[in-house]
Amino acid sequence: MNLIANPELLELMAASHALGTLRGGARRRFETLAREQAPVRAAALIWQARLSSMTELQPSVVPDPAVWTRIRNMIDAEKARAAIERQRDAANARDAARPSSGGWLRSLALWRGATAAGALATVLAVVVGFNLRDQLLNAPAVQYVAVLSDDQAAASMLVTFDPKKKQLVLQRVGSYSEGADKSLQLWALPPGGAPRSLGVLDNAPALRLAASESDVHAVPTLAITLEAKGGVPAGSGPKGPVVFKGALIEKTI
Amino acid sequence: MLHNPRMTAPSPDAELMALIDRIGHRDEAALRQLYDRTSPKLMGLAMKVVRQREWAEDVLQESFLTIWRAAGDYRASLSPPLAWLGLIVRSRALDLLRRRTADRAQLTQEFDDLMAEQLESDAPNPADTADASEQAWALHQCLSQLEGRQREVVSLAYLREMSHGELSEQLKLPLGTVKTWIRRGLEKLRLCMGRFA
Repeated sequence: MNLIANPELLELMAASHALGTLRGGARRRFETLAREQAPVRAAALIWQARLSSMTELQPSVVPDPAVWTRIRNMIDAEKARAAIERQRDAANARDAARPSSGGWLRSLALWRGATAAGALATVLAVVVGFNLRDQLLNAPAVQYVAVLSDDQAAASMLVTFDPKKKQLVLQRVGSYSEGADKSLQLWALPPGGAPRSLGVLDNAPALRLAASESDVHAVPTLAITLEAKGGVPAGSGPKGPVVFKGALIEKTI
Repeated sequence: MLHNPRMTAPSPDAELMALIDRIGHRDEAALRQLYDRTSPKLMGLAMKVVRQREWAEDVLQESFLTIWRAAGDYRASLSPPLAWLGLIVRSRALDLLRRRTADRAQLTQEFDDLMAEQLESDAPNPADTADASEQAWALHQCLSQLEGRQREVVSLAYLREMSHGELSEQLKLPLGTVKTWIRRGLEKLRLCMGRFA
């Protein structure tokens, strides 16, 4: 096809390509031409830029003020997590000097991977469906909520804190299985402090852990690590990789 | 060559670009200012794509976290600032719609009522071009030449990445009508945009 000899057709194809309505074989053929012929590529890019301004032309809608609060909380949590990672890096550098540090190195790489994926950005409504969200909003006792996600941002665990019963309630929402010889362990990641264990999970779909408000207050992030059966010994930090993590959001009632 | 008369005043682009640069240097105050300046516009865009206020607010939240992380890359994109922000919002909004579609089987929730949509037979051209780039102003002028429903179909095809078939299904229009409107719409845009640059 000699598109260059037919500038009107070239422009129309470039415009349909940018609009997204050029599909299937026609789209692939156009893209092949664009890779081979600079004028076709130029037309495609010009139309992409022109139509991108469609995003600028929609009528305004004022968002709820809580959206900014959520954004600020997430950014605070991200900064706190970066600080913790620097701390862990330093701790790991010390550990790396010891001979049996392989497990730690591996787990650190996974910590980083989980963080880099920005998994926490997937917040509750997105993943648990808005019926569930409505239930949460209508349950006044719940003051803290977190959705823990894996590094693909797929939700796997919904965590709520019930201050009346002093309980953390964990509900599995994904299909993750830790295997018979492993346990999942929940950690609070306080800013500037070491990870603090909140408990070890069993295989039940919903699990309640005793916790006081001080355990969750001022904790921006929760994480779940994969540990040997029964979890790590009391007082020790996480040994296994992080499988899920997410921001803890304080709900204003 | 036509000119946007508004552009004789200092460009709002320069101000938005300065804010994005500061955000690239981890300036949280700049993020707040950008949010105050652009969030209604971007929320409107998110609403247009996902059609549901809570989802749109989730999209807006994710978009501003993306902006916080990616602001350092803005200059390399060569886009007008509001268009760059808009592309981030559109992309996050389409992600949400895809996740929703994937969730559907598990959640046994019925989104079809929500997705079904009647076209306004005489949709006004709603654009609010305050803060829009010169490029957006040109597109606005050219879209104004399309008949209301035609403009709506072209806009939805782009903003929601919908095929002819999906548009026909959701808007309850014959497939041939959708194809004709889009082809004529693009033809008019081609002639009109050519006059701008």
